[in-house]
Amino acid sequence: MSEKILIDCGTSYTKIYYIKQQYYEIIPSREFLHWKTDHRILLATGYNTRGMGEAQVNELIALAEGGLRLIPEDSFTLIDCGARDVKYVTMEGEKIVRMDWNTECGAFTGHVIELLINHFNIDPNKLPPDSEKIPVVCGVLGMTKMFDKIAEGVPYPRAFMGFLKGIAWNCYHLVNKPELLYLSGGLCENRAFINSFPSQVRPLGRYVLLEGLKSFYENPNRLKPLEETVSKRTSC
Amino acid sequence: MVVGIVGVPLWEEIQKYVKRGDTIIDLDDALPEVSVEDSYLPKTYCSILKRVTSNAITLAQAGNLHLVLADVGEGKCDGMRYIASFLRQLLPIPVVEVSNTNSTGCGYPICQSQLPLREKMELIVETVSKPLVPTIKIQKTSPACGFWGVPPSDFTLLELFPPNTHIYGWTRCMENKTPANRELELQLNEGVPTVFFSQNFCQRSALAFHLAKKHQGLFVQMDHHLTKSIRAMVEAFIKFNVK
Repeated sequence: MSEKILIDCGTSYTKIYYIKQQYYEIIPSREFLHWKTDHRILLATGYNTRGMGEAQVNELIALAEGGLRLIPEDSFTLIDCGARDVKYVTMEGEKIVRMDWNTECGAFTGHVIELLINHFNIDPNKLPPDSEKIPVVCGVLGMTKMFDKIAEGVPYPRAFMGFLKGIAWNCYHLVNKPELLYLSGGLCENRAFINSFPSQVRPLGRYVLLEGLKSFYENPNRLKPLEETVSKRTSC
Repeated sequence: MVVGIVGVPLWEEIQKYVKRGDTIIDLDDALPEVSVEDSYLPKTYCSILKRVTSNAITLAQAGNLHLVLADVGEGKCDGMRYIASFLRQLLPIPVVEVSNTNSTGCGYPICQSQLPLREKMELIVETVSKPLVPTIKIQKTSPACGFWGVPPSDFTLLELFPPNTHIYGWTRCMENKTPANRELELQLNEGVPTVFFSQNFCQRSALAFHLAKKHQGLFVQMDHHLTKSIRAMVEAFIKFNVK
């Protein structure tokens, strides 16, 4: 019998939750897309979902629902730093009072950071915390500034830390500078990035969107089918 | 004769052409026979005005447009005033600039009706130059959700909204035949979850942004087409905020 799973199929990695076994797995999305499997995908979210799964949930809805499930406060701001984009929601009660989703520009996204960590072959948890912030207008211009610093003689761990601080500064301003910020996504494992924020950051890990899907799986009523909310044309 | 209108010229002015048997087309609309050219205006410019400009130039050059009747006053925007000034020199047809300052409202039953949002919008756009077909049944509803703004460049956006979404902003002023009525443009139903929409590069974005903050609504901007992120934001806003 095919196993039921929930997936968050992101640009770089696919996060999978096996419902019966209650465990998580992460595999590169390029592998998942060619995965020969008879697993039954009940719910899917993520940039690479491409119609997979019996129902698709958009990433902002999965993120907000995951936040409601994981975060004890009634009001919170939760940002997801993915491989290619950044999105956030600010909730009050169960309502979204602010949100945004930067999908067009890789200015401050996880994939750029991962590429640079591999390029420099450095441990992101051992970066000098007192590095000066580099303004990251966009990813490309930010990297230009970072390599300028390196050319001026700044050690590359220090220059890279400055780049991370610039990205964190952008995220902090995108979400309207809250005192407490919840973080979702692969960058939760990057201590240097978390420490780059001017506010308190609580990392929630890589499965926040999957937690949102779990909530919908366990409480199907919360996943009001989109058809119910979409206007139907009537004959006049 | 084919008369192309832009914005919401005075009803009486349009009807003069209708009565003499002219065909009225709305140059703000996407016309299937015209592709929007980027060569007439800067790349970073309002999609609707790019469309107006391409429609006017393409149709006039093909001999399929014989007069442009453009609202260039407070009821439209500065952009159209500047465009009209060069279209007058560029086109081989008359470009008549008008300013609709009508302050006598004729009501906005379509905005408050039971019709799906996209259908509401299509009707409001159609009735700029034509009377509402009497067979269309309009029933007043209580607002479950709100859409504030101008008719978007891509009406697919409107299909995301739930039943009984009311229309506010400039589109409501269009139906009311008072396109320059800023007081009406600012009026909202307090407590109704509302999406504040503007086209990219439109000066109305300032108002949409301000009102969205003031009323805890959702501010969205669109250029040519509905994007994945705009769709997701509107869907999320409706899911969590509309009961």
